[in-house]
Amino acid sequence: MFDVAVIGAGVMGCSTALFLARAGMKVVLLDRGAICREASGVNAGTLTMQMTRAALIPYALRAHEMWLRMPEWCDGGHVLATGCPGLSVAFTEHEAAMLEERAHFRRQAGAPIELVTPARAREIEPGLSDRVIAAGHCPIDGFTSAYLTGRAFRPALLNAGVELRENCGVHGIKPGFAVETAAGVVQAKRIVLAGGVWLQDMAAWLGVTLPIKVLVNQLVVTERMPQVMRTVLGVASGLLSLKQYANGSVLIGGGWQGIGDRARGGLAVKPESFLGNVRLAAHTVPALRDARVVRAWLGLEAETADALPAIGPIPGIDDAWIIGSVHSGYTSGPYLGKLLAQAICGEAPELPLFPIDRLLAQEKAA
Amino acid sequence: MIYDIAVLGGGPAGMAAAAEAAQRGARVVLLEESAAPGGQVYRAPPAGFTVPPDADSRAGDALRATLRQSGAEVRTGCRVWGVGGGPLVPMDTQAAPFRLDALAPDGQSFAVQARALVLCAGTHERIIAFPGWTLPGVLGLAAATILLKAHGMLPGRRVVVAGAGPLLYAVAAKLLKAGAEVPAVVDLAHSREWARALPALAVRPDLLARGLLWRAQMLARGVRVVSGARIAAAAGGEALERVLVGDTWIDCDALCIGHGLVPATEATRAFRAAHRYAAEAGGWVPVLDGDQRCSVPFLYAAGDGAGVRGAAAAPASGRLAVLAALHDLGMLPDHAGARAAPARDFARAAKAGGAMARMMALRPALVQAIPPETIVCRCEGVTRAEIEAACADGAADMNQMKQFTRCGMGPCQGRLCGETAAELVAMHCGGRERAGFATGRLPLRPVAMDALLGDFDYADIPVPNAAPI
Amino acid sequence: MDVIAKPDRMKDVAHPIRIAGISRPADVAFSFEGRSLLAPEGENLAAALIAAGIRRLGEGQDAARPRAALCMMGVCQQCLLRVDGRLAQACLTPIYAGMVVTAA
Ligand SMILES: Cc1cc2nc3c(=O)[nH]c(=O)nc-3n(C[C@H](O)[C@H](O)[C@H](O)COP(=O)(O)OP(=O)(O)OC[C@H]3O[C@@H](n4cnc5c(N)ncnc54)[C@H](O)[C@@H]3O)c2cc1C
Ligand SMILES: Cc1cc2nc3c(=O)[nH]c(=O)nc-3n(C[C@H](O)[C@H](O)[C@H](O)COP(=O)(O)OP(=O)(O)OC[C@H]3O[C@@H](n4cnc5c(N)ncnc54)[C@H](O)[C@@H]3O)c2cc1C
Ligand code: FES
Repeated sequence: MFDVAVIGAGVMGCSTALFLARAGMKVVLLDRGAICREASGVNAGTLTMQMTRAALIPYALRAHEMWLRMPEWCDGGHVLATGCPGLSVAFTEHEAAMLEERAHFRRQAGAPIELVTPARAREIEPGLSDRVIAAGHCPIDGFTSAYLTGRAFRPALLNAGVELRENCGVHGIKPGFAVETAAGVVQAKRIVLAGGVWLQDMAAWLGVTLPIKVLVNQLVVTERMPQVMRTVLGVASGLLSLKQYANGSVLIGGGWQGIGDRARGGLAVKPESFLGNVRLAAHTVPALRDARVVRAWLGLEAETADALPAIGPIPGIDDAWIIGSVHSGYTSGPYLGKLLAQAICGEAPELPLFPIDRLLAQEKAA
Repeated sequence: MIYDIAVLGGGPAGMAAAAEAAQRGARVVLLEESAAPGGQVYRAPPAGFTVPPDADSRAGDALRATLRQSGAEVRTGCRVWGVGGGPLVPMDTQAAPFRLDALAPDGQSFAVQARALVLCAGTHERIIAFPGWTLPGVLGLAAATILLKAHGMLPGRRVVVAGAGPLLYAVAAKLLKAGAEVPAVVDLAHSREWARALPALAVRPDLLARGLLWRAQMLARGVRVVSGARIAAAAGGEALERVLVGDTWIDCDALCIGHGLVPATEATRAFRAAHRYAAEAGGWVPVLDGDQRCSVPFLYAAGDGAGVRGAAAAPASGRLAVLAALHDLGMLPDHAGARAAPARDFARAAKAGGAMARMMALRPALVQAIPPETIVCRCEGVTRAEIEAACADGAADMNQMKQFTRCGMGPCQGRLCGETAAELVAMHCGGRERAGFATGRLPLRPVAMDALLGDFDYADIPVPNAAPI
Repeated sequence: MDVIAKPDRMKDVAHPIRIAGISRPADVAFSFEGRSLLAPEGENLAAALIAAGIRRLGEGQDAARPRAALCMMGVCQQCLLRVDGRLAQACLTPIYAGMVVTAA
């Protein structure tokens, strides 16, 4: 009998499991695939304040710090986290107005974002196009190599005594809890659902209707090239995220949509999205014209009806918890897992959770 | 316009496929990256070059002539970078026409659409890593055939030839004829393996005779043929200067080395067609029925990309694929009658081709012999030791190994390191089936960004509703 | 340990590396890393550089993995160069008059 079964080994499940085990619980972490191979292993790795929802800024700031110091709390595990300034730029008056409004709300939430002139923006980022008319500047930004996430967490999980079961899909949960897997039933006193876009299916096992929207995000990466930029760049519309890694490759994202769904995963790159995304990238950093694209891929991102997270107890079922659907969830992930672990252990979390009662009520009303 | 059939790749399989389709009245388009159709074995020399004809060039010219006369639309100099359509559509929508995105010779990107897609992308060479293989002067064995046959160039003046399969002796003979010195041919196979392959070759007396002739030439010129041996290391300063065989260093300025051929399955993987691991056919191959149909409706694979069977079998399998496509499109009433001849040709040629492919199958001992510090992934600089450390850290398949190490993330897209790396992962996780393969990703080949940019206006970029603050 | 050395008579025998008996277009001039070279118009760039004794095509990301032609069919990407400023694969590029080739 485990104290807790955490279902889903993405960044949410891994960090929750790790902090639970460190608090003395006997934890099993189950994933139907390998650790961090869905959203948490394929995302763009931006540790961003300018793309994070204002309500999440306090969480993201604390998580940003955690990522940069990951080796200290994760037994040396790391994701090559790099701190650097972030710029969100505007090419049109409309975008400039958008920047201003968004910067205002995020500043109120604690993100040190200031609006800067195009000339100042180009001082901060010499690679920037001269077509930029305004920019938001946040000195606290950065990026990671998300593909390392599973490798970073794994040893720490094992050291903390978490029983990690990969390739062990769960297909149902009976009260008590009996977690039904392909390899037999796992008994646990508590459960944590951490299934990314599959949270909808997992909630259904418990008879809970929690609609989760699936975003099929595309990413594009270039071959290694000489340095063309040194910040994390975005566009006010949110359609671009751009960064260059130490090895010279440039990662191009921005939430352009490909083809895919919960059942089939990220299925296919949409050529129009691919073209739109690289065009916007080269519009923003003209030196990218000289790059070669080597790979495009897709990942599934979860979103609730109000685009705010689902983190907290599952109403009506004692000892059942949920975590996921966090906008820019990679950025905030490790801190949110830590908060949920605090709540499960009966402590008052440092910052409030995002209970799902609001979403279930909405669903009932509809 | 939507074509009936699009053919990807203009080697012998693709040429025969497109010609057959056009002859039967289908609207067909063939896309080929090279300046002229021909593929690897019948690669045409550069424009303005005239090479004295031989058996291969005559076979290639004949296929090219048939293709030209067939009236098929042939677009050469077009690198296909994207595949889509077919089953790659949103849930609950009907299968779409297939789509190929390609770069035209002028560097601009364009797309073609077709109701059926025949993939004839051929193979690339397997070169298992060894110390010193990154030195300039080390090149592929199949690569050497291109250099010698299409470009009329020797890879060096003193050339060691090493690896597995019939290309060893073809390359060595060609080198000798063209005036190079060949200090040694280093064959992974023992002579008894060749003896075992002989019965299957009996169906191709022409090939058998050619092989015996090569062998005689080698003996006459005093070439050392070392059987059952491998290149243990290559060494040199700026470029290759010598190679190590057993405990003998052999001076040379070029090493042509190849350990077999690997089917190009990037497109079938991108379409999520079913694949199976068939070492004797070169590795992972799409699951096909007897008429080259993939598990995805209206998708077909032919030639060596469907499993290595050699140049003679390729045109017949291309024809089989197109006949099945025409039948499935409702454009060929007498399918049974039409397929009889190519089916027979294929079976016959595939027997000899299969025997050769078996000689070229991956030899795990070669991978086991790689020293830990040897670079396996050249693009990203990943060593054997790093791959094994990732396996020890829990990477139990190719995708996770790639994530943990970056092996295969560079511009060759895993084509160069994939076989070595997969074998290393397989040693840890219990076999190649378990190790699996890296998910098929676009672009199929690296694409220059400026080719994708075209003329675009910022206002053309579709902006969705802004996310909530 | 044995050594099969180059016989001395081989030392200076500069037998042509372009295979005889092939008719080729007239030579044109091009340059590699500032060095002027000649090759038949349309000849494959990777092949022409081998003929000129140039095998090391650049240092790439790391001298342990220099650029060099390996597969000759556009797959390995190890032969990447700049042709008139644009990235190009040597093994897929024909020579034309005045082309300026540099390492990438
Ligand atoms: C392409 C892309 C780019 C992104 N870029 C950024 C970015 O730059 N910055 C940022 O902050 N955020 C980004 N995000 C968002 C971020 O990646 C996610 O919010 C975060 O990784 C979600 O973590 P998770 O643990 O909730 O989900 P996941 O990582 O998806 O994990 C869910 C896990 O549940 C498992 N599972 C599912 N069903 C079962 C079952 N039946 N039994 C057992 N296990 C199961 C899955 O296998 C999976 O491992 C991006 C997302 C995507 C897709
Ligand atoms: C270098 C080399 C030499 C060989 N020599 C011999 C030999 O002497 N004898 C023998 O029996 N076998 C030989 N083989 C094996 C060879 O694969 C086949 O015998 C034969 O060429 C197979 O024909 P195919 O049509 O299947 O593929 P190929 O001849 O390989 O043709 C595939 C074609 O597809 C094109 N292509 C691939 N991807 C794309 C893309 N994304 N966009 C556009 N075009 C694309 C390629 O340019 C190529 O022309 C050789 C293989 C190689 C690699
Ligand atoms: S030699 Fe391999 S791509 Fe040019």
